Amino acid sequence: MIKKKKYFKSLDQLKENSVVSKIHEKEFIEKLPNDLLSMNNTSKSDSTHTRRDFLKMVGFTTAAASLAACEAPVKNIIPYVVKPEEIVPGIANWYASSFYDGHDFASLLVKTREGRPIFLKSNDKCSLGGVSARVQASVLNLYDNNRLKNPKKNGKTISWKKLDEEIIFKLKKIKNENRKIVLLSSSIISPTTNEIINQFKKEYNSSHVVYDPVSSSGILDANKIMFGLRKLPTYRFDLSETIVSFDADFLGDWIDSGHGRDYAKNRNPENKTMSTHFQFESILSLTGANADFRSPIKASKIGEALVNLYNIIALKSNNKIYDVNRSPNQEMLTKAANSLWKNRGKSIIVSGINDVNIQLIVNKINQILGNYDKTINLSNFSNLKQGDDNDLLNLLEDLRENKVGAIINLDVNPVYNLSSAKDFQKYLKNVELKISISEKMDETASLMDYVCPKNNYLESWGDCNPYSGIFTLIQPTINKLFNTRQLESILMKWSKLGLDYYSYLKSFWKKNILGDKSWNTTLHDGFLNNPNDYKKLLELSQSEVSDIFGKNGNSVSIDSSIKKVLLNNNQNSIDLILYSKTAIGSGKFANNPWLQELPDPISKTTWDNYLTISPRFAKELGLSNENTSNGALNGDVVSIKSNNISLEVPVLIQPGQAYSTLGLAIGYGRKGIGDAAENVGVNAYVFMKNFNSYQIVDEIKKINNKTHEFACTQLHHTMMGRDNIVKETLLSNYLKNPKSGNPELFLETHEGPQKPKNITLWNEHDRDVHWWNLSIDLSKCIGCGACVIACHSENNVPVVGKEEIRKSRDMHWLRIDRYYSSDMNENIAESQGKSTIRKFLDMEVPSKSENLEVVFQPVMCQHCNHAPCETVCPVAATTHSREGLNHMTYNRCIGTRYCANNCPYKVRRFNWFNYSENDKFDFNMNNDLGKMVLNPDVTVRGRGVMEKCSMCIQNIQKAKLEAKKQNRKLSDGEVDCACETACDTGALVFGDVLNKKSKIYSETKNPRSYHLLEELNTKPSVWYQTKVRNK
Amino acid sequence: MYKESEIREPLILNNKSLHDITNDIAAPIEGTANKWWWGLFLFSLMTFLWGAGCLAYTVGTGIGVWGLNKTVGWAWDITNFVWWVGIGHAGTLISAVLLLFRQKWRLSINRSAEAMTIFAVVQAGLFPLFHMGRPWLAYFVFPLPNTYGSLWVNFNSPLLWDVFAISTYLTVSLVFWYMGLIPDFAMIRDRAVKPISKKIYGILSFGWSGRAKHWQRFEELSLVLAGLATPLVLSVHTIVSMDFATSVIPGWHTTIFPPYFVAGAIFSGFAMVQTLLLVMRKVVNMESYITIKHIEYMNIVIMVTGSIVGVAYITELFIAWYSGVEYEQYAFLNRATGPYWWAYWSMMTCNVFSPQLMWFKKLRTNIAFTFFISIVVNIGMWFERFVIIVTSLHRDYLPSSWSMFSPTFVDIGFFVGTIGFFFVLFLLYAKTFPVIAQAELKTIVKSSGSQYKK
Repeated sequence: MIKKKKYFKSLDQLKENSVVSKIHEKEFIEKLPNDLLSMNNTSKSDSTHTRRDFLKMVGFTTAAASLAACEAPVKNIIPYVVKPEEIVPGIANWYASSFYDGHDFASLLVKTREGRPIFLKSNDKCSLGGVSARVQASVLNLYDNNRLKNPKKNGKTISWKKLDEEIIFKLKKIKNENRKIVLLSSSIISPTTNEIINQFKKEYNSSHVVYDPVSSSGILDANKIMFGLRKLPTYRFDLSETIVSFDADFLGDWIDSGHGRDYAKNRNPENKTMSTHFQFESILSLTGANADFRSPIKASKIGEALVNLYNIIALKSNNKIYDVNRSPNQEMLTKAANSLWKNRGKSIIVSGINDVNIQLIVNKINQILGNYDKTINLSNFSNLKQGDDNDLLNLLEDLRENKVGAIINLDVNPVYNLSSAKDFQKYLKNVELKISISEKMDETASLMDYVCPKNNYLESWGDCNPYSGIFTLIQPTINKLFNTRQLESILMKWSKLGLDYYSYLKSFWKKNILGDKSWNTTLHDGFLNNPNDYKKLLELSQSEVSDIFGKNGNSVSIDSSIKKVLLNNNQNSIDLILYSKTAIGSGKFANNPWLQELPDPISKTTWDNYLTISPRFAKELGLSNENTSNGALNGDVVSIKSNNISLEVPVLIQPGQAYSTLGLAIGYGRKGIGDAAENVGVNAYVFMKNFNSYQIVDEIKKINNKTHEFACTQLHHTMMGRDNIVKETLLSNYLKNPKSGNPELFLETHEGPQKPKNITLWNEHDRDVHWWNLSIDLSKCIGCGACVIACHSENNVPVVGKEEIRKSRDMHWLRIDRYYSSDMNENIAESQGKSTIRKFLDMEVPSKSENLEVVFQPVMCQHCNHAPCETVCPVAATTHSREGLNHMTYNRCIGTRYCANNCPYKVRRFNWFNYSENDKFDFNMNNDLGKMVLNPDVTVRGRGVMEKCSMCIQNIQKAKLEAKKQNRKLSDGEVDCACETACDTGALVFGDVLNKKSKIYSETKNPRSYHLLEELNTKPSVWYQTKVRNK
Repeated sequence: MYKESEIREPLILNNKSLHDITNDIAAPIEGTANKWWWGLFLFSLMTFLWGAGCLAYTVGTGIGVWGLNKTVGWAWDITNFVWWVGIGHAGTLISAVLLLFRQKWRLSINRSAEAMTIFAVVQAGLFPLFHMGRPWLAYFVFPLPNTYGSLWVNFNSPLLWDVFAISTYLTVSLVFWYMGLIPDFAMIRDRAVKPISKKIYGILSFGWSGRAKHWQRFEELSLVLAGLATPLVLSVHTIVSMDFATSVIPGWHTTIFPPYFVAGAIFSGFAMVQTLLLVMRKVVNMESYITIKHIEYMNIVIMVTGSIVGVAYITELFIAWYSGVEYEQYAFLNRATGPYWWAYWSMMTCNVFSPQLMWFKKLRTNIAFTFFISIVVNIGMWFERFVIIVTSLHRDYLPSSWSMFSPTFVDIGFFVGTIGFFFVLFLLYAKTFPVIAQAELKTIVKSSGSQYKK
């Protein structure tokens, strides 16, 4: 700004050409163009700045701005002012805890780094339940940006104090008006929570309704009728020589995620004996895929088949026989029955159908076979499912009659997962006080007056009593991230018990459970076994228990059950099976992107639910699946109608599925719980009338001109006659010759047949320190996918979303290949005189017969000792380590993708985009909260670099340093890969083969061991063991 | 008995005198560009800019904007790279190999063929550079001294051999080409009337005065460079083929690749020369210099190399069957009958069947037909590289990873952009450079007076 007025300091200054003014001019040779700096609109003539000044200023500001832009954002690492005693930066702490969400139970070890839980693994000390893929992934739920962060009243944030006051006031009022107060929850296995609920009930005269969205009411009720004990038994698949399952996906999602571990114990051919597993099922489940004998059976025919099986056994055991039509699966049923009878007392028969009559027949067969207290244990019962479907139906009745004054949801979501959700929603309007205690603003919570945000289980205290006589503790591993409270504290506050649940828990345990055991030791171990006092207490309360050992069960007649079951035998119906997937399960964790991106073990489809249909039935209905030009799968869309509800669903053709039966996964179609779950699939719970997973379809109609886009990680489904990819044999052959199915490979050379390893151009690497190998037993691998999620979590593997998966760009470092058998092979082609072209075309088609076999094969970087990827990288970004690992140097990688092309196993994954801090990939790596789950030991890869399995080199390095500090050698079992720790069945073994005493060393000497694509002589460090079937 | 051998057909028609040649060749440079030139130039420029936009999008966003996936890590990028390198083969072959074999007919086409070579190699170089996930670190491929001690490039990698082979080839071709241009630039300089062009051509001609000493050096250097360039004709595409041949992927791992690729490269290179020269001789009135004879000779080269390529295709199939390796057998069966059968049969039709028509003299001397076949051959050779790269990758060892490839608009844009860029360069060249090596051409002007015999 130029001032018109000039002030002078002396008279000389005022005069023109005076000495003072001359000196003054020399002092500042050129005046700064002040007028330019100001925004003052002085006229141009007044302006003293020149064009040069303008250019100078433009130049300076441009340079300054660009220099400032060049500077990288400064990120500070702030040291602790007062370091917490137990936290050493860079060193992980492990805490024992437990997981239970009303559906799965697992005892856990939680890995925390700098106070953040980042990885979960099974607490090997007790190995209760199973750390399934879903449990593994639950650590990400803690950092879900869509969690409720504050208490809400009608959608508006409110303080806890105000909320407590208002609710207590209202509850009292409703109590005084003598109207019902209902607590609604899924099964609760915590003794203290139950105690607090009892206190609350006393305080407010309320009732407690328990229901499980995926219900086991049928088994519970059958046991109540038969044995007087409304409990689930524990199933001992490890003790069973014959396993017969009717639509029970016990390796997948049925009751207890620990079944897989038990099952695999008796699937080890090295024991010289294996269980025989029969599966009668309508859709192809994970369990069916693992069965020795599998028979697809129309859902409505399962009852009939079961009665037939009963008859065969009853005939052998001189029991009453019932009139029933021959089942189409009679041959297999006879085989199963003979096997069951042969292994009386060492067999097991289960059914996943939630129908009390079916379960009564199942119980009866087990009883005749004398399996109770041997393979099926009711004295050591399980608490995991307690819900009573009838209680909920009664509650709906009460709601309809407007008897309920207050409803308090304890972390359940009836508006989403009840088939009668619409009615529930309607009746809810009449309830005066509606409260939800929830982690999410879910479908139900959004309709409530008050929403109380609940802690994640990793922020909470708690206890579990999953099985009789076994207690575990839940301990917080991080401070509360938001303004939340744990469920128990909320109820305690309202029941005037204060807020201090921790003290309550501790004193309850001291009084009732601990006995003479120490609290600290128990907390450290995470569990307490066989506390007799409490067990007795509990058993005494079950005074009506008549016959838990199954001795006198004959007194209960199953006449009426059989009659009812056979009534349902519908010849021409189209059946619908509502199943739950290994990843999403009941849908509670649908907003977990890891789980959404975990391919279904069978269909290998991600981010979707769909109607599975048998190829034959699809053809009859004119439905098809087609691959687009980039391979991605498109499917027709149908509208199905059942119980007067219509839904539009895409169709996925599923080999191995029974004719005239449709399958639809529950847990999808969530609304408002977060971006990952939004618009993914449809809600199938609407069809689940009376909690029955088996329903009848009234109408199925193709919607013309509509296709659905699927995102599959595997597009080709058979092994194309390449039988050396997954080697297989039968137990009988294996016993005769342990190398059966895995003969020594010889290649023809001019010097006669040679083993591939003897023909090589390359020098061997020095192997003098360690040599890390991984072995995978295909007989034990059940294909569940827990390892995939563990790898995700340990190695910061990015989630890429549906669109990218559709482009075959999944980033999984570890994938599980699934192959179906085909009806065509070399011999058949020869005998039928098929042309080679025809042969290969037929090989592409999965078997259409009943004998469809499925194999699973986890594939990760094979860490070849003569690695094709290493030779082709122009910049030596992938190199070989002295310890047998194939290293990937991200910093050096320029992204030519030559290594991935030249990898015969196709395990290398390229960062096509930036997957972190990119709004196009708005998953956990795009927000500060979600990024807290990242493992600080593993780099987050930027775009344009290749990545792949490193055999968790960070764990190797940590163990080596630890050993070095203590000046000792590494011992076997000190180092583990994430996938290995996640594998409940023990299919994966990792270790140093230079240590001759190690487990891995003996695995490499196993006659079943082989290398994948051995003829390429890449000399992998990963071994596979032949799959042995017991047929 | 007096016997006079049959008079060879002259290589320059219409009794051109030395002055006529000078006039003809200087005409496009001294005259103004016609609307055809401008039209073509602007169209090429627009395609080039579109390609540059696609490239900027790729570099700014990530390779994910292309259609590649975890199974097919190379597709159009490397297909285009090999295609352009292949096209870039004819120039050196014509100028160096034919020089050593004293084939005088090369003189009217070598300049443009070499120009095409250089421009094609420039296009080719763009693909390996920008197919990188992190092109800004491309300098990692050079064995540069660094502070990391043993951090060095991987001399086992064929991709590194490519870096050396292509850069050597480009350098030698460029020097060879430029050296040949010097006397011609001097001619333009001498005729130039405008001071600016006189200045520019003066600088470009390096003070050439046409002295005997200059000519001696010129001849010597020609021979030396021809000797250097001849092995390069073989080495460049041999090394490009080793990108595939040294891998383990069925369909790539083939020892026949080096000769097969070299033959294919010459095949496609000559086809591209045909495409360009057939247009150019018409547009800039060079019919007297680029005669039916030249066209026929080149067609014969196309026919021979096309047959070699055909034999290679059939040998591949035979060896796949004979090897007894199931992966190899399936790979080739899948090429011919799998989801990309159309690409395979396009390749077969274009590369094996179409050049066989050149056995007929009537066809191989027909300009329109030659033009058509030259285009067909270039399409076929593009498909050959696509077939080798994509059909081998999309179904390799483990069927679980089998996938498909489909290009995105960016893939297509980048490729079309390089074609645009190529024509921008070539059109600028045709306008400002002497398109025929007139100084050398003048050495074969017949001065015997044989025309009077007719």
